[in-house]
Amino acid sequence: MGSMRMRGIDKSFGGFKALDKVDFEARPGEVHALLGENGAGKSTLMSVACGLYAPDSGEIEVDGRPVQIDGARRAVELGIGIVHQHSRLVEAFTVRDNLALFNPGRPVDDVMRDAQAAARDLGFEIAPGRLAGQLGVADQQRLEILKVIVSGARLVILDEPTAILSDAEGAMLMELVRRLAQSGRAVVLVTHKLHEALAHSDRITVMRGGKRVAEALPQDMTPQTLTHLIVGANVAEAFIPSGAVGAPVLWLENVFVPGEGRQRGLAGASLSLKAGEIYGVAGVSGNGQAELAAVICGIGTPTQGRIMMADRGDITHQGPADRRRQGLAAIPADRYRHALAGSASVADNFAVPGALAGAYGPWAWFNRGIMRRQTRDAIARNDVQGVRSTGQPASLLSGGNAQKLVIAREFQGKPRVVLAHSPSRGLDVRAAAAVHDRLRQARDAGAAVIVISEDLDEILLLSDRIGVLNAGRIAAEFDAPADRAAIGAAMVHHEHA
Amino acid sequence: MSTPETATGAFAIVPRTGRARAAWQSLRIVPLLEPRQTVSRAMRATVYLSALFLAGVLSVALLVWAGVPAGDLWRELSSVAFNSPRALASVLAQTAPLVVAGLATSIAFRVGFWNIGIEGQMILGAVLATAVAVYDIGPEPLRLPLMALAACLGGMAWIAGPGWLKARLSMSEVITTLLLNYVAFNLLLHLLYGPWQDPASRFPHSEQFAAAERLPRLGWQNLTWSVPLAAGLALALWWVMSKSRLGYLLDLLRHNRHMAHALGVPVAGISIAAVLGSGAVGGLAGFTIVAGIESRLTQDFFVGYLFSGILIAFLARNNPVGVVVAAFFLATLMMLGQSLQVFFGIPFALIRLIQAIFIISVAGSEFFLGYRMHWRRAA
Repeated sequence: MGSMRMRGIDKSFGGFKALDKVDFEARPGEVHALLGENGAGKSTLMSVACGLYAPDSGEIEVDGRPVQIDGARRAVELGIGIVHQHSRLVEAFTVRDNLALFNPGRPVDDVMRDAQAAARDLGFEIAPGRLAGQLGVADQQRLEILKVIVSGARLVILDEPTAILSDAEGAMLMELVRRLAQSGRAVVLVTHKLHEALAHSDRITVMRGGKRVAEALPQDMTPQTLTHLIVGANVAEAFIPSGAVGAPVLWLENVFVPGEGRQRGLAGASLSLKAGEIYGVAGVSGNGQAELAAVICGIGTPTQGRIMMADRGDITHQGPADRRRQGLAAIPADRYRHALAGSASVADNFAVPGALAGAYGPWAWFNRGIMRRQTRDAIARNDVQGVRSTGQPASLLSGGNAQKLVIAREFQGKPRVVLAHSPSRGLDVRAAAAVHDRLRQARDAGAAVIVISEDLDEILLLSDRIGVLNAGRIAAEFDAPADRAAIGAAMVHHEHA
Repeated sequence: MSTPETATGAFAIVPRTGRARAAWQSLRIVPLLEPRQTVSRAMRATVYLSALFLAGVLSVALLVWAGVPAGDLWRELSSVAFNSPRALASVLAQTAPLVVAGLATSIAFRVGFWNIGIEGQMILGAVLATAVAVYDIGPEPLRLPLMALAACLGGMAWIAGPGWLKARLSMSEVITTLLLNYVAFNLLLHLLYGPWQDPASRFPHSEQFAAAERLPRLGWQNLTWSVPLAAGLALALWWVMSKSRLGYLLDLLRHNRHMAHALGVPVAGISIAAVLGSGAVGGLAGFTIVAGIESRLTQDFFVGYLFSGILIAFLARNNPVGVVVAAFFLATLMMLGQSLQVFFGIPFALIRLIQAIFIISVAGSEFFLGYRMHWRRAA
């Protein structure tokens, strides 16, 4: 039970060949890692598996029988469950209703009992009465995983499940993945994290450019050989220290922000960002990261404390417009909420600051020609790939290219302060390296850069100074090169006190 | 089980037994719906026009079924709209207030504010314009502009409350704007049965406006300046929506307000401007009717514009030029309905039904923009 075999799967969009004769097999009791860069075809292949796309040709067998998976419901009937990278929850529904919705025909009490049990296995509690939209991103994903498990999936596909989880949460999830496989289910782990594939899978399939380039056992692979297979070349990134750290540019003094729902918020956070320095904020998710990013951008307002800017004084109560005029650039974590309008065109997304500054003419005359030309130039300069026309919706860009578009817009002027929250979330190795490069460039040009990330590797790779955010305040600070273990200890210290 | 698994399509009625089932399966063609990645402009136009065409065919079939000979139908249509200057003029006279009401609705819809209170705003606009006329406010040459200004202010005042309630208390504007229609209507009745009742006839409408308080005639047929006024307004709004910075920012707001706010776009200010603008144009719609058609304040000048405004804004996809086309279409349909009613005894409800067919067709066509159908034979 739970085995699936795909043979010779082809799929094209317009003229673009997304899948080229791909073979893939998921076996019961096995964790099968599907590795590849953004745009390699991993998600498309899995969309075919769960009935969202029809293959142009190729065959699919489930439990040895040829099947046509002609819709998401059919996939669920066949015992194929997928947890998408982005939440597919009904945000206006409660946790209970979301679970019930995905398990039609079963008594809600049964569904909830199963869900509570599965949640306990995962190591967390669910609050059945809370609205899904009020949950944090991590909690939403946990709920999605729960939803699929409770619906009785025998083949569970997880699309980049740890992309938005902290180290600890990710480790917990991997334990669950193992238990799922031990229970006889087949698990497909779509990821671009090498160590995840190497440490937690029984089999690895690597895709590149819509083709399957390798299927191998993890014990036969090394990070180097895998990287080579994934990108077709070697990418190495190393920490590069700042050349010249200057005076403080922006600082927080004892800032308090109430958290939303069960989030902690900020409780007396103080930190100082200096010109020419990357300040990394490490910490377990839910310790005030979102609130910290919000108060720096001017989206959130502290209930106590002050935010100061060199030669501007107190900017605590300034909104995003004022902060941006004073040289703030931001790369938010939730890309399609705070950074890009997915349904708007690439040019419309790029042009916002220019439009506000009057770069495309006065109020009565908005020159779209200039806007498109500037967008085209910026796209070329910033190596944003996959833009067929500036009128194409931004949501069609891959994660890495969407992030490059954000960076192209944010770094147009010469920013004084750069906020980057989980800047490489969902990006592959090469795209992440490109984003990191741009952050270093901004720093070397004299900006004060703050990177908030739950990925400790990223923090260590970038930061000249590291602050650990724990329970809403900076609990400890470290200068680079910092001791990973000490940071880890500060991240969890007193957490349950 | 050795037979291959087959898919269960939504419309399939599958025979349960042996041969029939096998035969059925060899024939059955199953659609798979696949989300589209992009929709080209040509595709959009094709789908939209096909929907209109389908609605047209259904409407004709309905009328023929109701007893209108197909040949006469065409003759009626052409005589209503296109045959004589007089017929065209009366369609245009109908079109003008529909354009203004449609524009008012579409401005609010564009920023996602569901203004269901156009009729209330029309009433307030007409009431304030009438006040200027009744109390002879301002010098005569300025009387009409003052009336128009008063109408704008009236409409804005009537939508300001719901706007504020939504912004401050997240109160649904659908409810507040809708209910304020009744408040406005009762205010209107109070005025027409009280202080403003026509002293000459004792009928519940205001006294007739003086010449300086009516929109002047164009000098062609019976048309007044309401027609160029509506056209000019549509043109101006087209400019704002597609050629100005405000139009760009309005679109951005519709796509993603959170992002717009985070990037420093004055989201609150722009939303307020759009909502008040919608109210102002709604007030102007009232002014267009009382000063351009009725020449006095009546108790039912606004009836039907709420629904028509929504219909027009929807068919036009909130595009000001589209509003003109949709309003003209609707006016033609209404005139056609009146003449069919007279000559063939067709109930006017049938015309409403035809309007509904057009809405449902266009709304349904959205589906084909979102999904592509794969027709394939079941395995």
